[in-house]
Amino acid sequence: MAEQTLNIPQTVVFVLVVFLIVRWYYAKPSNAARLPPGQNRGFQVDPTQVDQIAQMFPQLGRREIMWDLQRNGGNVSATTERILSGRGLENPPPSFQPQTLRSAPAATAPRTATRTENKPAHPDLITRYNLSSKLHAAAEASTSGSEAPKKIWSQDRDERQRNLQRRREEMILTARRRLEEKEKTKDTGVSA
Amino acid sequence: MTSPASKRLFKEYRGLSSDPPEGITAGPVTEDNMFLWEALIQGPEGTPFEGGVFPAKLEFPKDYPLAPPTMQFLCEMWHPNVYPNGTVCISILHPPGDDPHHYEQASERWSPIQSVEKILISVMSMLAEPNDESPANVDAARMWREKRGEYEDRVRENVRKGLGL
Repeated sequence: MAEQTLNIPQTVVFVLVVFLIVRWYYAKPSNAARLPPGQNRGFQVDPTQVDQIAQMFPQLGRREIMWDLQRNGGNVSATTERILSGRGLENPPPSFQPQTLRSAPAATAPRTATRTENKPAHPDLITRYNLSSKLHAAAEASTSGSEAPKKIWSQDRDERQRNLQRRREEMILTARRRLEEKEKTKDTGVSA
Repeated sequence: MTSPASKRLFKEYRGLSSDPPEGITAGPVTEDNMFLWEALIQGPEGTPFEGGVFPAKLEFPKDYPLAPPTMQFLCEMWHPNVYPNGTVCISILHPPGDDPHHYEQASERWSPIQSVEKILISVMSMLAEPNDESPANVDAARMWREKRGEYEDRVRENVRKGLGL
């Protein structure tokens, strides 16, 4: 009888041990599953780190640098150490296609390219909105009496679009007309 | 038309259309995409920009109005606070979190209570009064500071060119 009955402390310890074992067993795989992506796939290499190393060792490819950074979790000094120690960087597998690879050189390039590239020849407003045919028509209309630009909000989507376009054109044509007039009076003023 | 951002932009579009501020026309390029707008701004009177009309595009982020739009002029714009590629650099277009120049008041920067209308009005007054503290175009800033006449001539020339003269 005494052998069969379990006393309370024993039961409590047994349940606790079983609980902990079960917990440990289930927690382990999920931890293991979480870690590798953190080190490998999910980790995004910071392009500035790649730039940093690429500037020190211009002979190395950005892809190789990225691969090494990716594997050591973005540790610049570890990668530098590795290169300096003469071990060199591993060739990344062909499947390694970092997204930042393409954007990174573009991000560094503009510094020098801005001057020349960012000077697009902007078309003037008349060309841009195709208003050359309306230039003269508008001039005549304005002398007969200018109508106020529409400020009404239409429920119809297409009409709204047309109203916006009309207001735009009106604004440009008025400005152009005024400037032309101003230049004309200036010219006559100079010649007179 | 479902996302809160496009709803808000639609509301602003309606406001700007029914009661447009003086010298400003703005709206989406097409209503299919509320996140890309085109605006026309008139040059303020009494400045070398007077008489000009300047087109610009506004690109809104998906989380507008939490984050501000970006604004880029689509014409030649010689101004201390406009980058050579046309991008406008003023405090109202900077999110409150980042302050690249460490001088702006938080109240001047972007917050959801600002609006497209306020941006465009700020840009208009920026044309009249450049902010010398944060030049986006260093050459233009220097010219504005040291050779005002030359700066004004260049701006006036751009005004004429922009209107096809």
